[in-house]
Amino acid sequence: MLNFIARRLVVAMFQLVGLVLVVFFAIRMLPADPVARLVGMNSTPEAYRMSQQALGLDKPMLEQLRSYIAGVATGDFGRSWVSGAPVMEDIRNVLPVTIELITISFILAFLISVPLGMLCALRPGGVADTATFTYSLFAGSQPEFWWGLLFIYIFFAMLGWAPPPLGRLDPMSTPPASISGFITVDSLLAGNIAAFRDGLHHLMLPVATKVFVLSGPIIKMVRQNMVRVLGADYVLYARASGLPPWRVALIALKNALVPALTLLGVLYGYILGGAVLIETVFSLGGIGQYAVRSVLAFDYPAIQAVVLVIAAISLFVYLALDVIHAWIDPRLAS
Amino acid sequence: MSEVLDLADAGAVHVATPAPSFLFRLGAALVVLSLVLMVVGPWITPYDPNRPTFEISEPPPALTAIPGLLWRVITGAPHDPIHWFGTDSSGLDVFSRVVAAPRTDVAIAVGANVVSLILGSLLGLLAGFARPWIAGTVMRISDLIQAFPVFITGMILVTFAGRSNMTIVLTLAFLYTPIYVRLTRAEVLSQRTRGFVDAARVLGKPEGFIALRHVLPNALAPSLIQASVTIGFAILMTAGLSFVGAGVRPPTPEWGLMIAASANELIQGEWWSSLFPGLAISLTVFGYAAFGNGLERIYDR
Repeated sequence: MLNFIARRLVVAMFQLVGLVLVVFFAIRMLPADPVARLVGMNSTPEAYRMSQQALGLDKPMLEQLRSYIAGVATGDFGRSWVSGAPVMEDIRNVLPVTIELITISFILAFLISVPLGMLCALRPGGVADTATFTYSLFAGSQPEFWWGLLFIYIFFAMLGWAPPPLGRLDPMSTPPASISGFITVDSLLAGNIAAFRDGLHHLMLPVATKVFVLSGPIIKMVRQNMVRVLGADYVLYARASGLPPWRVALIALKNALVPALTLLGVLYGYILGGAVLIETVFSLGGIGQYAVRSVLAFDYPAIQAVVLVIAAISLFVYLALDVIHAWIDPRLAS
Repeated sequence: MSEVLDLADAGAVHVATPAPSFLFRLGAALVVLSLVLMVVGPWITPYDPNRPTFEISEPPPALTAIPGLLWRVITGAPHDPIHWFGTDSSGLDVFSRVVAAPRTDVAIAVGANVVSLILGSLLGLLAGFARPWIAGTVMRISDLIQAFPVFITGMILVTFAGRSNMTIVLTLAFLYTPIYVRLTRAEVLSQRTRGFVDAARVLGKPEGFIALRHVLPNALAPSLIQASVTIGFAILMTAGLSFVGAGVRPPTPEWGLMIAASANELIQGEWWSSLFPGLAISLTVFGYAAFGNGLERIYDR
């Protein structure tokens, strides 16, 4: 088991290093010029050179890589060229917003999708299956930014149920002191019920959008695994023993969900990187919006850090779920 | 005897998949429609998609007025210029732009998938046939690319390589190639031990010839089915990239750009200029997903 974890960790480390190198060289070798963007098109050559020197872009690429790696090794990921703040500090502020949003969405989507997927699998080809499956196919192929806007139009502009899509909290309210960075957790820790409710209120529409889009692939996955498991001999045995259908379904569900863990890990990583759109629509100020800002401003240190952090979290979640999977099903580890 | 078999077959098919065949047909229709519009879209628009008209932010005709308007159009009776989907805040005809957009959205998605399908299936064939270390290298590189956060990497590559249709095609092709490598390799591994491969080998055919001529055509089916689904995702990604300002440049008629441009007007009640392009994305991508799902079921059977 330890051997299995170690092997996976080594692979993940190699992937991270490879990722960092690819991004490092890609942004430097592609034709975009951050210096020209910073000093403007009509600057003098001296101003251009000075700015280039200040950013360290006049040195050869390998030299830049060496100093970058030396920085990363000591935990220094550089300063953002836009804000001037250390990149890691920026990310520490924006990352919890994203994690909070997608974790809540993920859990809700899962809670809704598992019963629906089971419903499908219990009578494949039936009316409920057809309807739910069509829904999951539809939900899984939707532009989430458009649904977000549609929800804003209906629930904010028309009905007035939702707050304006302008961030995580009402601009007039005082945010709770940052402990974990998650607004919901911090406000509860501070005993600030008003901020807690406000935070949830602002999460309402983004989470609804995300749950809708996410439910598609999860239903499909649960259904597939359930159909497979329900055909197994032990399910036949359970049925023959006269267990009521819901007990049989529960037995099957346990076995259907275990292989789904791996897929859930992949999905979590995928939506972590894909939070860009939903954050842009609702101006949530998470890592996705930070990524957009950094990319459009050609902010090298910020881009490198964002990719590294997101990939590291995805790989970690992926690995953790694989370990849990192997722990439940020891055949995998060998 | 054969009649009995046919009946049994038809019965089984009917019980197992009543709805998917409808979904499949719907998907196929939407796919065909999107491909037709990709080719002829910009030629059949009632207005020039890039030239503003005099009506600014005009709502689409009311539902009750549509039959009357249609009648006038059909009979050729004189009528005011009609904007079926209204006009946006710069006076551009929304219907014309929605119809012209597949030339960008669908073409990019199809182009990216053609490139990655060709590249991916050849690499997958290589990974299934070549020496272990070559195969290992190909697979490790695929793993590495798949570890990238797709959307953010897409933003970075497109923005840094210069935002044009070609860079989006190449970026998406880069990100999607590993999918096809994986699918083709898995299929190649199961095909290479089949009888017809041994037969070709006994006939003394060179290994490369066997791979390309006998194994590859038999290993393509999963990739082709996947392509339908992936084209849909590529459309989502293309529209998403331009929505955040890291994709196609304005004023190209493109669904994601149209939604981004009119997102602010939406709150003030101008719903039509973002509703219709979004509906176009929604239906198109759903069409490709349904079509792919139907193909998958047919192939599995």
